[in-house]
Amino acid sequence: MKNFWKLAIILMFTIAFSTNIYAEQQSVTSAETQKEGIVLQVDKKELSGGGKIIVTGKAPQGKDVYIEIWSEKNVRAARLDADPDPKTGKRPYIFYMTDEMPAFYTLIVPEKYKDVLDQAKKEGGKWSVSKVIKDAGADAVYGEPAKRKIERYQTTLWASVIGSRGTLLPPMDEKDNKRRSMQLLKAKFRSVETIFSSKLKIAQDGTFTAELDLPSNAAPGKYFILAKVDKELKSSLVTVENKVTLPNVYLSNAGRTVNLFGPFFLALVVTTFGVLMGAGGGFILNPILVLLGLPHTVVAGTVMPTVLFSQASGVYNYSKIKFINWKLGITLGLAMILGAFIGPKLTELITLAQFKFIFGWILIILAALMFWQTTPGYLEKHKKEQAILKEFKKRAEEAAKKKAEGGK
Amino acid sequence: MKIEFWGQEFKANLWIGIPGAFLIAVLSSMFGFGGGPFMVPLMTVFMRLPMYVVVGSSLLAIFFNTLTGSLRHYGFGNFDLVFFLIMFPAAILGGFIGPRIAKRLSPIVVKRVAVVGLLILALSLLGVF
Repeated sequence: MKNFWKLAIILMFTIAFSTNIYAEQQSVTSAETQKEGIVLQVDKKELSGGGKIIVTGKAPQGKDVYIEIWSEKNVRAARLDADPDPKTGKRPYIFYMTDEMPAFYTLIVPEKYKDVLDQAKKEGGKWSVSKVIKDAGADAVYGEPAKRKIERYQTTLWASVIGSRGTLLPPMDEKDNKRRSMQLLKAKFRSVETIFSSKLKIAQDGTFTAELDLPSNAAPGKYFILAKVDKELKSSLVTVENKVTLPNVYLSNAGRTVNLFGPFFLALVVTTFGVLMGAGGGFILNPILVLLGLPHTVVAGTVMPTVLFSQASGVYNYSKIKFINWKLGITLGLAMILGAFIGPKLTELITLAQFKFIFGWILIILAALMFWQTTPGYLEKHKKEQAILKEFKKRAEEAAKKKAEGGK
Repeated sequence: MKIEFWGQEFKANLWIGIPGAFLIAVLSSMFGFGGGPFMVPLMTVFMRLPMYVVVGSSLLAIFFNTLTGSLRHYGFGNFDLVFFLIMFPAAILGGFIGPRIAKRLSPIVVKRVAVVGLLILALSLLGVF
């Protein structure tokens, strides 16, 4: 027994020392790399549900420092390039897509470039990432998204009709990939202030302080922070961990963290109201979710299947009382299958602005339709129809019951 | 096309029905809403079919639409499982609560409230406010 304790103590010491030695070695190597480059520190290594990080460091005197922050988690970003070529006027119709866009990305530029960001904000929806990067002198330091592999497809009208993304084109060179990554950044994050920040003070002696607000809806996992002066001169990579705990959950396809009670109660209220007004909840739920900032592709693709089961049970109940004309339902159903094959493809191709515009008009048409359903003329007709419907249903139910009894 | 429903015969105008159903399916699957509020008027007003023929058959057609659209969205990777698992129970629960409240409310009032609500949403989508 005594021997056992001795052994245990020795073992513990060995473990304690070996980890210490290892840690020392690590800090030595990182100090060495920092000597010739940029020193970078963060005030905390761990965040819970977002928060503020203060990044400090020291760079060679008189140089502009830029800080890139990106998440370990990736999301999809896509964009259809249909802008006419300035020379030929031809529209390229090339669909750019990457599944490796960081779910969070920010480039912090020195405070003196605040005007550049303000100018871009004034331009509204037409602002350009590449122009901001150029004007803020960040062309050499913009690095992380540019490295992500972007696929491109030549789409055609026919490809859209048969619901394919088109033909995959050969990969782009480094320069092109970088340029397209900037457009995809904008397509994914849209606003100037999500992609750029100018909260970076640089003192005369080269020390700098930056502030980063990680929003509460940011993805969980590691965040990488890198300070750069140019392509070669950069700090070592600093990692910060962001924890997300229940009731917050991360939606991996949307690239966002949400409090799960939010969408739950929203969906509950909207679908209940949807039943009352006689139109599915999707008409109200989808615009709200999109206005809250969730990607329109994920909203459309995720809300649609939620009604699948209630529709299936509805079909089953109607079929039990023989209230379905299969010939009519299947004929129109086939036309709808064709349409539903194409629709989701189009969701991908359109921008958020186009999504909002078309959806806005659909809602106006629906509102007009529902208003018409409250006019006296319609109500009178509707009352008669409902009475006939009720009568027919009753007869059908009785017949089904009789048959069931007869079958026994 | 001639169809029979409970011993009665109706003529369904497919020249309107098929393009109409196709267009509704494109929009419905593109934006992820149910096609019911558009399919029922298409079949009653434009195809001149009585309501009792339409209710079941339109639901069957829409079910095909939802199924295909969902599969396509899934294939394109636009389906978020966690998000779905949050909203699906809410949708089922809403389907239970809705009909129970419906009996106590005037459908005309509900519809008028819905009209106002839809217009507000539409205008905010269009960026008016």
